[in-house]
Amino acid sequence: MSWRGERWRAELVAVWAFALRSLLMASRNIFFFFELLFWPVVGVLSIGLLTKFLHLGAPETSFVLIGTIALSTIQVCQLEVSYAVLYDVWSKSMKHQFLAPIGVRHLTTGSWIVGVVRGLLVFVLLAVLARWAFAFDVLAAGVWALFLFLLGCFLTAWIIGVVVCTLIVQFGTRAEASAWATVNLVLVLAGIYYPISVLPRPAAAVASAVPLTYFLDAYRTHYGFAAEFPMAVPTGLGLSLAYLALSHWSLVVAIQRARRNGQLLKMSG
Amino acid sequence: MSAIVARDVAKTFRAGWIRRRVIHALRGVTLDVPRGAIFGLLGPNGAGKTTLLSILATLLTPDRGTVTVLGHDVVREATELRHRLNMSTGNASFLWSLRAEEILGFYARLYGLSGRRLRRRIDELIELCELGAYRRVLYNELSTGIKQRLALAKSLVNDPELLFLDEPTLGLDPDVSVRIRRRIATLRRERGMTIVLTTHYMREAEELCDEIAFIKGGLILAGGTAAELKRQFALGDVIVFRLDPPTATWLADVPGVLRYAEADGRVECVVDEADKRLPALLDALHAEGVVVRDVRVSEPELEEVFVELAR
Repeated sequence: MSWRGERWRAELVAVWAFALRSLLMASRNIFFFFELLFWPVVGVLSIGLLTKFLHLGAPETSFVLIGTIALSTIQVCQLEVSYAVLYDVWSKSMKHQFLAPIGVRHLTTGSWIVGVVRGLLVFVLLAVLARWAFAFDVLAAGVWALFLFLLGCFLTAWIIGVVVCTLIVQFGTRAEASAWATVNLVLVLAGIYYPISVLPRPAAAVASAVPLTYFLDAYRTHYGFAAEFPMAVPTGLGLSLAYLALSHWSLVVAIQRARRNGQLLKMSG
Repeated sequence: MSAIVARDVAKTFRAGWIRRRVIHALRGVTLDVPRGAIFGLLGPNGAGKTTLLSILATLLTPDRGTVTVLGHDVVREATELRHRLNMSTGNASFLWSLRAEEILGFYARLYGLSGRRLRRRIDELIELCELGAYRRVLYNELSTGIKQRLALAKSLVNDPELLFLDEPTLGLDPDVSVRIRRRIATLRRERGMTIVLTTHYMREAEELCDEIAFIKGGLILAGGTAAELKRQFALGDVIVFRLDPPTATWLADVPGVLRYAEADGRVECVVDEADKRLPALLDALHAEGVVVRDVRVSEPELEEVFVELAR
């Protein structure tokens, strides 16, 4: 194999190492079952029943259910990315992986791949439930629109997951709560249950900087809602790629800082 | 040729927002470790051993000074260097829900091993560290000794040229410690690996290390072979006589005698090298008409050097 081929192979093997580790850990922890099934199902059922109680029409029901399903899908995927660092913090084994010749791209990509798989599982489960219980069809928008929506969800999850990893490397276990809190903040801003036009002006301005806002907007147009943004998908993709690069850069900087101030050793046994 | 060349390495940690605490962990360490040697770093708690080891292993960056490991600068060429070194620590910790072979597999993949090469490597390490019975046991179900062996196996996944062992036998039963020490010696003998280890156990350092450096307060206070250190601190060999008549104070003036003492009817002479000085001492005693009833020779412990330096 050529030098370049060998390098690519090593890159893929390192990504696979993190993916496999995430899969193994997920398969042996009862809490992952709750993350995957219990909370997402409870979320869709309670919101769906609320729409019935409020006598919302089909378009409004689909509006909020899109938000609920997106919330669970993103949360599951984002947590998987955050676990890439949290596992090592909890097991105090942080230094061993950073002793190896790897980059943050291996760590985040490997865990993101598993997050996407788990996110897809949650999405399919919730889509079936929403169809059965509330007559909401995720495919009504078309396969391509659904693909772009899911892509937006998973890119958002990746970004949030990497930001959480950065906070944990920077502040240690004190930042652990951010793994569960950050995603909710982003989703509130992105207009998960409402159009962002209802937000106060400063909050709406912040919301327009969140990529998920655009993916939700684009997907909801297929359910009869007027688009709030022109070129929503390209804008969302552009923002996602920019934030992805920025979040990875911030994680690299946080690790360099942790090597300087000893935080990396403090988080290890 | 040196595996490690460190010059004037300093590291300071700062902690606390309101009450700022400053800890000078290293204050200008200079060190040379020859290739293929087992090099020991000894010192009391908080001496800076782990900080120094972490800098050499690229886990920490120095504030000052230069460090070249296997020809690479530890800051600028850290990624290239990481392919060639590894580390095992006392009280090592890994992911609780992974099996022993999965832990080895995970770390081996980080070094690019896959497929048949990966499986072969895991088998080799499991055999080398006698982990066969535990390969499918979850990490949190392993005993401390087995965890330590697993940590050693993990540190060999990339067949490193340079191995750092931070307190490799910390808290282990004596029989397990002996086996780990044997394994370390074998690694150097069979693979020509350079090994740098930190330890609290003087016997371990004396048994394993070609060279030893004593570190305290972030400074290297002394270095050399165990024998050189003992000489350096005038801790030479001890010759104990039972004489008739029981005193011979003039022995203190015999060349090579570092100290003379009397206790419990015995005469104790500390000499630089017993092999060289004993015949001369016996000749001198004979010439003075002193009868030697009994003679015993003992080597000083490295621990005495440690105690001397730790004061």
